[in-house]
Amino acid sequence: MKDLENELRKVLERREPPDGFAERVLAQLEPAPVPEPGWREALISLVRLPGLRWAAAGAVACLLLTLGALHYRRVQQERAAGEAAKAQVMQALRIASSKLNVTLKKVQETDRRLPRA
Amino acid sequence: MKTPTQVVRLIATLLLACCASIPAFGQNPRLQIKNLDKLSKKASEVVDVTLDESMLKLASRFMADEKDEDDAEAREIIKDLKGVYVKSFEFEKEGEYSEEDVEAIRSQLAAPGWTRVVGVRSKHDGDNAEVYLMTDSNTRNILGMAIIAADSESLTVVNLVGPIDIAKLSALEGKMGIPRMGLDKEKGKPSQKQAASHDEKK
Repeated sequence: MKDLENELRKVLERREPPDGFAERVLAQLEPAPVPEPGWREALISLVRLPGLRWAAAGAVACLLLTLGALHYRRVQQERAAGEAAKAQVMQALRIASSKLNVTLKKVQETDRRLPRA
Repeated sequence: MKTPTQVVRLIATLLLACCASIPAFGQNPRLQIKNLDKLSKKASEVVDVTLDESMLKLASRFMADEKDEDDAEAREIIKDLKGVYVKSFEFEKEGEYSEEDVEAIRSQLAAPGWTRVVGVRSKHDGDNAEVYLMTDSNTRNILGMAIIAADSESLTVVNLVGPIDIAKLSALEGKMGIPRMGLDKEKGKPSQKQAASHDEKK
C-alpha cells in the first residue's frame, strides 16, 4: 500500500517544463483572424480619403444639379403647354363669341325689319 | 323585415330610376368634327382648337391673374366646361367645302337633346349661322353648345361641351379682340322660346 502511495506521489509531483516549452507552444499557435470590415466601415474609410471625399461631394453636387435641371425643364414644359392651352382657349372663345354675336345681331336686325303687329 | 310588397316597390323604384337615367347617358354634347380635317389642305387659314377637360384645367391655372380682366372672364366661362373644340376654315375661293361636310355635323345635332335656338340664313350672300344647345331632359341644364357659321368662303364649327353661360360668352364682345357688335342686350339673349329659326330673306 505504501509502495502505491509512493509511486503516485512520484508520478503526480510538480515538474518544471523543459526550457523553451512556452515559446514553442506560442510559435505553433495560428494568429487570430482579423474581422472583415463591414460596408459601412469600408465606406467611411473611403470617405476618409481626402481625394475621394471631394469626388463624393462633386458627385452629389452633380446629382443635385441634374435633378434641379430636370425639374426646371419639366416646369418650363408645363408652363409652355399651359400658355399654349390658354392661347387656344382665348382663340376659341374669341371665335365662339364673335360667331354667336354675329348670329344674334342678324336675328335682331331681322326682328327690327319685321313689321310690328 | 320588409314585406314582399315593399320589396316589389323597391325593385320597381330602382328600375324606374335606371330607365330615367338612360336618356341622360345617351346625351353626348361632344360632336365628331374630324370629317372637316380634309378641308385644311384647301383652306388659306385654319384654326383648329381641341381642348379636353385636363387641358382646360391646365389653361385655367395660367389664367390666374386676377388683375387681367380678360383672363378672369375667360376663366369664369370655361370653369365648368369639359371640352372646347373649334374648327374654322377661311378659303380663297368659293365652293371649297360641300354641303355634305356641313350636313355631317348638322345630322349629329338632330340627335335627342339638341335644340336649334337660333338659325340665320341669308339667301343673298349665302351666310348661314346656327346655334344649338343641348339641355338635360330632366333638369333642363345646358350640357353643351354648338355653332355652325358658314358663308361661301368660310366655315366655322364650334362645340363647347359642358354647362356654358351664353350671356357671358356673348358679353365678351369688345374684349379680347372680339369686335363690338352693338347688340341689344335684352334681345340678344337666346332663350328656349327663341328656338324657332330666323330665316333672313334679303
